[in-house]
Amino acid sequence: MICGLEIHVQLDTNSKLFCDCPTNYQEAAINHNICYVCFNQPGAKPYPPNHEAIDGAIKIALMLGCKITPELTYFQRKHYDYPDLPSGYQRTSIPIGFEGDLNGVRIREVHLEEDPGQYKPDLGIVDFNRSGIPLIEIVTEPDMTSPEEARKFLKELIRVLEYSGSARGEGTMRADVNISLEGGKRAEIKNVNSIKGAYKALKFEMVRQKNLIKRGIEVKQETRAFLESQMITVPMRLKEEADDYRYIPDPDLPPMLAEEEHVEYVREHMPEPSHIKTERFVKEYSIPEDHARVLTSEIDLANAFEEVAREVDPKFAALWMRDEVKRVVYYNKLKFKESEITPAQLVELFNMLLNKKITTKAGQRIMEKLPKNSKMPSTIAEEMGLLGVVEVDEVKRAVKQVLKENPEAVNDYYKGQKKALNYLVGQVMKLTRGKADPSHTNQLIRDELEVKD
Amino acid sequence: MKILEKSQLIKNQELSAKDNLESFCQIIKNVNPEINAFLEINKDQAMEKAQDIDSRIENGEKVGKLAGLVIGVKNNISVEDFLITAASRTLENYQGSYDATVVKRIKEEDGVIIGVTNLDEFAAGSSTETSYYGPTQNPAAPGLIPGGSSGGSAAAVAAGMCDLALGSDTGGSIRNPASHCGIMGFKPTYGAVSRQGLLDLAMSMDQIGPLASDVSGIALLLDVIGGLDPRECTTLDWQAPLYTPALQDPLDHLNGVRLGVLKESFDVTDGPIVKIIEDRLAELEGFGVELVELNFEYLDLCLPTCYLINYVEFFSATRKYDGRKYGHRIEEVCGEEVLRRIHMGSYISQKEYSGKYYKKALQARSLIKKEINRLLSGVDVLISPTVPKLPHKIGAELDTMEMYAYDTLTVVANLAGIPAASIPAGIVKGVPIGMQMQAKARDDLKILQLMSFIENNL
Ligand SMILES: [Zn+2]
Repeated sequence: MICGLEIHVQLDTNSKLFCDCPTNYQEAAINHNICYVCFNQPGAKPYPPNHEAIDGAIKIALMLGCKITPELTYFQRKHYDYPDLPSGYQRTSIPIGFEGDLNGVRIREVHLEEDPGQYKPDLGIVDFNRSGIPLIEIVTEPDMTSPEEARKFLKELIRVLEYSGSARGEGTMRADVNISLEGGKRAEIKNVNSIKGAYKALKFEMVRQKNLIKRGIEVKQETRAFLESQMITVPMRLKEEADDYRYIPDPDLPPMLAEEEHVEYVREHMPEPSHIKTERFVKEYSIPEDHARVLTSEIDLANAFEEVAREVDPKFAALWMRDEVKRVVYYNKLKFKESEITPAQLVELFNMLLNKKITTKAGQRIMEKLPKNSKMPSTIAEEMGLLGVVEVDEVKRAVKQVLKENPEAVNDYYKGQKKALNYLVGQVMKLTRGKADPSHTNQLIRDELEVKD
Repeated sequence: MKILEKSQLIKNQELSAKDNLESFCQIIKNVNPEINAFLEINKDQAMEKAQDIDSRIENGEKVGKLAGLVIGVKNNISVEDFLITAASRTLENYQGSYDATVVKRIKEEDGVIIGVTNLDEFAAGSSTETSYYGPTQNPAAPGLIPGGSSGGSAAAVAAGMCDLALGSDTGGSIRNPASHCGIMGFKPTYGAVSRQGLLDLAMSMDQIGPLASDVSGIALLLDVIGGLDPRECTTLDWQAPLYTPALQDPLDHLNGVRLGVLKESFDVTDGPIVKIIEDRLAELEGFGVELVELNFEYLDLCLPTCYLINYVEFFSATRKYDGRKYGHRIEEVCGEEVLRRIHMGSYISQKEYSGKYYKKALQARSLIKKEINRLLSGVDVLISPTVPKLPHKIGAELDTMEMYAYDTLTVVANLAGIPAASIPAGIVKGVPIGMQMQAKARDDLKILQLMSFIENNL
């Protein structure tokens, strides 16, 4: 199969694309965030396009490796009749960026649009709070060959958008998915609102089309709707002439020139895109790709890693940050940024580990205390009595004591119950307040029990 | 009395804003039922404003440039709290919810808005007969159309129902009724006046401008409504001329002034009208102007080009009148001409035809623009009749092309975005005749200075 995507995501601006209304449409009361411009009252003209939105679109296009159109960019009117469209047309720019690439999937174009309102047939109302919020549309070439590839692409794309700091992420995503199988025509699936949805829609459509082809039935070119609740696609009824949007350049909005200097300014100030950062981490720090991918999953985590890696062995830091930092942050349902863990805290903690001032176990416990905590790891270690790796003699004493106090467990061990050994190790750890090394303790207990034998 | 003089009288407390308003209200009461220039007036609100202005003047406080002058606004320009219908049943219940930029500026300069004026439905006409609220009479030539589409504004000024009026001009809609009603009308350079709040006819050609009975009124209103509007993308960011001060220092001769005369414009115009314009030109020659005869080969192209663009842009602009927000779906309640334009616009903007019509029209437009600018490069102002024929009797049956022919000489200024005005030039069979002046984009002041010279000397 081959698959191409058209993805719409809202840009994260304070005000709408052509007026000053705020963009917090979900929080506002119905039809509260509207004015004569975004409600398109008779006589209303768009204000000059929101610069934040234009720059956001340029930035995202650049991050996706696009060339920026050197000529005039202008908005077109795309006419269609739907209750959510206050003017009867949607303003949509000609491509701002084109010929980009994201991990081998070619980006055909990136352009800017205004979001329509929200028609709520169940309530019989249209909420125009969303009307006029800037949207970016990213159109790929049909370069994906499986639902998995499409899912991978979308995940990476959402990461790039998050990195840009200019887009709103998967929650505002709306995608059209094009799929065709060898020997069949292209189907376009609309109403896809999540990465999972895109994956499921492609899976379903692939099976459906395969079955048709197998049975010798022609796959028509058609538009289908994805039903999220049932994870299936169904034919979409289309009105006559639905295809003819009667595009005209919007006479109210003069063409804009993307000045080369300005584009260069945006390029210099844009964040390194996630997929390129991942590649660089692999090369620069000699770490495995899966480590790099986890570290670049959030821009703040990636930045923290780079700071830490200046002070500590990058491979050691990568391993700890991939496993322990992610574990603790995830457990607390935070993003790395929200955890407020600082590179300085991590550097100190890793150095304590590397210098054998604390055990791995202690390191993990300290890590658990770091989120939203400004104390340094050394202070935390001191407070919790975790400082210092326990002397071997002390562990040996503890082992002896534990074996003496737990004859039942010892018996169980001899009976071949492996669980008993874990229990005994746990008791030793408890007695040494976690400072003993678990694998070493394990060995010591076994040695001791074998001797008795 | 000139508008500027009246403005001084008000500021000097020799005439109160209240009395000025009262006398207009009396005239409106007497003649408007017959003329039907105003669709709605709001005397109470206007009186409140007039009294406020008077008391500020009495207290020695500063008042605006238009203090106490009474103004009518074409009913396709948004004014808060008036019904803004564009003379269409489509919007019969639509109450203006905001002030257009020009209205805001008039209010800020203490103009007294008395009411809203009649027009052809959505300004799509040249006779003011297609209004849902009935035709407007021509006060200068009773029984005849006042021209259009700003016929209500022109008639209100001509009948002495207000000091000044606002119109809009997409293919001649200010100049044409000014010509027929014997007053002055000015269509500024495209972008010189904000369109924010102007109901669309054809966005790339629409322009708001003043109508008045003398040049000082035109200048005063231009000074107030013009200039950059940061909230309307097509307005010009330029050092706009100061029109009223320019009138204080009028030209005393026209030596060195080059006036272009478009031969083709005379070819298409009725003989008696040509004669009047030629007489005026001869007089101007006496004041030192140099007449330059020019050929404008694309004149035939202008009307079809203008209308094709008009159709497409109007179709787009009316998509919002889908019956969901304003009660009526436009196609179900509008008049014949509006419906024709919507259907034509819908037809020629289809993907398969747009190359054949709309794109061709845009190409023709740039050709016309280039050519008219070439002609203008050698002269200061182009002179022609404003309208090539006399207005018809209200209710007479005209076919579409006969109707469109009224615009033959005015559309070029809208296609090219250049300034153009009409000034009374004479009378044929009791009907006023206007002379049109056009200049390069941003040369609005040149036109105004020539108008002022003619007013003072001819
Ligand atoms: Zn708004």
